[in-house]
Amino acid sequence: MISQAVPQASIYLPHLAELIRIEPIAEREKVFEFRLKDGKELGHKPGQFVELSIFGIGEAPISLSSSPTKKGSFELAVRNVGNVTNALHNLDIGATVGIRGPFGNGFPVDNLKGKDIVIVAGGIGLFPLRSLINYILDKRSEFGRLIILSGSRTPQERMFVNELEKWHKREDVELLETVDEGDEEWTGHVGVVTTLSSEVHIDPEKIFAVVVGPPVMYKFVVAECHKKGIPDERIIMSLERRMKCGIGKCGHCQINGVYVCQEGPVFTYAEVKKLREAI
Amino acid sequence: MKAKLAFFDFTGCEGCQLEVLNFETELVELLNHVDIVNFREAKTESEDNYEIAFVEGSITRESEIPKLKKIRQQAKIVVALGACACLGGVNCLKNFRPMKENLRIVYGDAAKYYDTIPARPISSIVPVDYYVHGCPIDKKEFLKVTKALLLGKRPEIPNYPVCVECKLAGNVCTFDKGETCLGPVTRAGCNAICISNGRHCWGCRGPVDDPNTNSEKEILQKHGLTVEDILNQFRIFNGYLEVSK
Amino acid sequence: MENKIIEKQNMAPFVDNLINAEAEVIGPKRKDGKYAFDKLIETGELCLDYDTTLLPPKMYLFPPKETLIKFELGKEPEVEPVVEAKPLILFGVHPYDIKAIELLDVAFSTTNPDINYLSKREKAVIIGVDCLNPNPNAFCPSLGTATAETGFDLMLTDIGDSYVVAIGSSKGEQLLTKYAETREASQVELAQRNSERQKALARYKVTLNISPEELPQLLDKSWDSPWWKEKSEKCLSCGSCIVVCPTCFCFDVQDDVTLNLKEGERYRQWDGCMLVDFAAVAGGGNFRGDKESRFRHRMYRKGKYIWERYGKLGCVGCGRCASACLAEIASPAETFNRLKEESK
Repeated sequence: MISQAVPQASIYLPHLAELIRIEPIAEREKVFEFRLKDGKELGHKPGQFVELSIFGIGEAPISLSSSPTKKGSFELAVRNVGNVTNALHNLDIGATVGIRGPFGNGFPVDNLKGKDIVIVAGGIGLFPLRSLINYILDKRSEFGRLIILSGSRTPQERMFVNELEKWHKREDVELLETVDEGDEEWTGHVGVVTTLSSEVHIDPEKIFAVVVGPPVMYKFVVAECHKKGIPDERIIMSLERRMKCGIGKCGHCQINGVYVCQEGPVFTYAEVKKLREAI
Repeated sequence: MKAKLAFFDFTGCEGCQLEVLNFETELVELLNHVDIVNFREAKTESEDNYEIAFVEGSITRESEIPKLKKIRQQAKIVVALGACACLGGVNCLKNFRPMKENLRIVYGDAAKYYDTIPARPISSIVPVDYYVHGCPIDKKEFLKVTKALLLGKRPEIPNYPVCVECKLAGNVCTFDKGETCLGPVTRAGCNAICISNGRHCWGCRGPVDDPNTNSEKEILQKHGLTVEDILNQFRIFNGYLEVSK
Repeated sequence: MENKIIEKQNMAPFVDNLINAEAEVIGPKRKDGKYAFDKLIETGELCLDYDTTLLPPKMYLFPPKETLIKFELGKEPEVEPVVEAKPLILFGVHPYDIKAIELLDVAFSTTNPDINYLSKREKAVIIGVDCLNPNPNAFCPSLGTATAETGFDLMLTDIGDSYVVAIGSSKGEQLLTKYAETREASQVELAQRNSERQKALARYKVTLNISPEELPQLLDKSWDSPWWKEKSEKCLSCGSCIVVCPTCFCFDVQDDVTLNLKEGERYRQWDGCMLVDFAAVAGGGNFRGDKESRFRHRMYRKGKYIWERYGKLGCVGCGRCASACLAEIASPAETFNRLKEESK
C-alpha cells in the first residue's frame, strides 16, 4: 500500500518566481508583483494563499491580493511583521523567491454569482478582499450590488488608497469608509467598521457578507449581519492562522479539528460557530 | 561590505569569549563575512567603529556602566553573550549579602580601594537586542545567531523548556534517576548538554518567557527539596530575577 | 495468516544475519534502566522483553529533524528537494507503536502525499513483538492496541522456549526464509501464544472506562468542563508529552544556511501543540496562548480530531506521555475517565 503511495515530487519544493514590481501602500505595507519563472499561471482563486519563501530566511503564508482575471502575474500585499516579510520588504526588483501553492479553499465565487455582496474589510483584511473585489469588477455583470465597507485604524493606515478612490468613483460600487481615529484632515466617517452599518440598506434575501479583518472584529460584524437579517450560511469570513506547511500536515493552523490551510481559510459563519476556537 | 563585529567583556570568567575562540575553523570561515574589530581576548589592536557588539559579563561596578552605555551608543545591535550578561548569572550570588561584607570577604584590608554594586545583567542598564544564553554559550547557537544577524534575520531562540531537547536527546529524565533538575522551566537551546552528560540542568540559560514556577516548585518539593534548597538552586544563575521581583 | 516458530537459540543467529545483511537494524536496547530504540551492533544488545521505550520508533520514519529542500542563495537561487531513505529493519516494535505507524501512514499519504515520510516508510521492514510486560501507565487493551493484526512484516510472541512468528507480508516471509531457521507452528504453540497474550492483558494497570468509538461524542460534550483549567494549571509547557508520543506528527519548518552564507537547507523538526508558541502568528497573536486551551487541544486531537479525520485512533495507550509528565497531567486515560464521570 505504501509503495503505491510514494509520490513523485516533494510537496515542499517551491516554484521559483521573479519579483517584477514593488509598490508601497503604507508605512509597513507594500504590494509585490511576481511572475512564475516557468511561465505558468499561478491559477488561484480569490481568497487563497501561497507559501512565500525567501531562501535562507524561511517561508510564510501570504494571501493573494490580485484577481485571477489578471493574467501573467500575481500580487501579494504584505505587512512587514516577521522575518520573511521583513526580508521581502528589503528585496529589489528582479529578485527570485519561492512560491508554493495556491493553497486553501478561497472565497466561494460561484455561490456569490447573481447575488448582492457586502464586503467588510478591517485593516489589512482588505488584502485578500482586493482579489475578490477586482474579480467581481472584472466580471461585473455576473454579480448583483457590490457594497464595500472598509475600516482603518487611522487615515494613514488606509490600504490601497488609489484603488479605494477608483472604486468610490464607480457607479456600480457602493463604497463606505471609516477610520477608528480621525485627524485634522480626515473629513470622512469616524468609528469602527460596524458603525457604517446604519448607512447601508440591503435586501437580506439575496445578499452575501464577506468579512475579513483582525480577529476581534468578527463577532461585532456578525452581530450587525444578524441585525440586518443575513443568515449564517451567507456570512463568509477568512480566518488568520499560522499556516506553516500549507498542506494539512504540520498542525500549526488547526482550529479544533479543522486545518485552516485545507478546509479554510474561508468559512461561512454557520461553520465557524461550530468551531469553538475560531473567533 | 563586511559587517564589523566587536566583543566586550565586563565581570565574568571570559569563558564565553574563549568558547568563541574555540570555534577555530568556523571562525575562519566567518571572517570572510565579518571584520572583528575589537576582541581583547584574541587581538591587541581595536577600533571603535562596529555594528554588532557581543557583550560578555555582568555589571558589578559603577565604572562599568558608562562603558556599557558607550557600547550601546555605537552599536546598531547589542547581543548579550552568556549567562552573566543575559541574566546576571553567578555573580548575583553576592547580591544576597551586604556589599560591604562582600568587599571585606574578597579583599580584606584592601577593601577600601575597591567599589562594588549588586551584580546585574546588561539589560538592566541598556536595551539588549538579542541573547546568546548559557554558561558557557553553545557554539552552534552563537553561530546561528551570528548568521541570522548577517542575513538580517531575527534569530529564533527557543521559548520552550530544556525538556524538549532532553527528550529528543533520548535521555532518561533526571527525576527518574532520583535527582532534581531545573530543565522544566529553563529555556532550551543547549541540546540538554548537561543532562546528556549525566548531570542535571542548573538553569544557566534562564527561564522561558512564562515559566510555571509554582508547578516546578511542587515537583521539586515532591522529590525531596525544601523551599530553601529550591531557592539555592534557582539562585545559582537566576538570583537577579528573584531580587528584581 | 501463516505462523512459524523460531526456537530461542535460533533468534540470535536470525538477528545477527539481519545485522550483517544490507539493511540497518534498529531495536530496543537498555538505557540507564529504561529502554531506547537504537541501531543494533550485535544481537546481545536487543531486549525483546522491554516494557516501553523512551522515544517511539516513529523517529526512524519521521525523524526529529529532517531536511526537506536544499538551496543555493544568490541572484539566481537554485532549489532541489531532499529525500533521504535507506533500507531499515525496525526490530521488536510493540503493537501499539505499529498502530501508531499505521496512523502516520494515513496522515502522510492522505490528500498531499509526503514523499519524505513515505519513501522512508517504503524501505522499512517492521518486525513486531507482542508486549508481555506493559509499562504501568499503558492502557492498550482499552483501545484495542495491545495486539496488532496488520501493519507488520513479522510479529513475534515469546512463548517461553521459542517465539511464534506471524507472517504479515511477503517481505517478512522472504527475510524469514533467507535468514532464520524456522519450523511450522503447532496448534499447541498457537494456543500458548493466545494464553501469553491473555496473561499480558491482566498486567495492564490502567483502564479506560469508555470505548474509543465513544470518545468523540464524550469530548463534544466536554468543551466547557472545569477539568481543562483545573488540570492544566500544573502544566510546565515542557513538551515532554508531545515529544515521546508515537502518534504526534506536527512539525515546524525552518531555514538554515552554511557559514559561507551561500547555500542552505530547509528542514522540519518535531513540534507540538503543548508548546507555548505553537499557534502564535507573526503579527503577534497567539491563538492558543493559555495552558488550558493547549491542554484541551491535545486531548481533543487524541480522542476526536484525528479519529474523525483519518479514521484511526489518535492515542494508542502506550503510556509514554504519562510516564514523561512530571506534573502528572498528561495521561489521556485519566482525562477521558474523568470526563466520562462528569458526563454521568
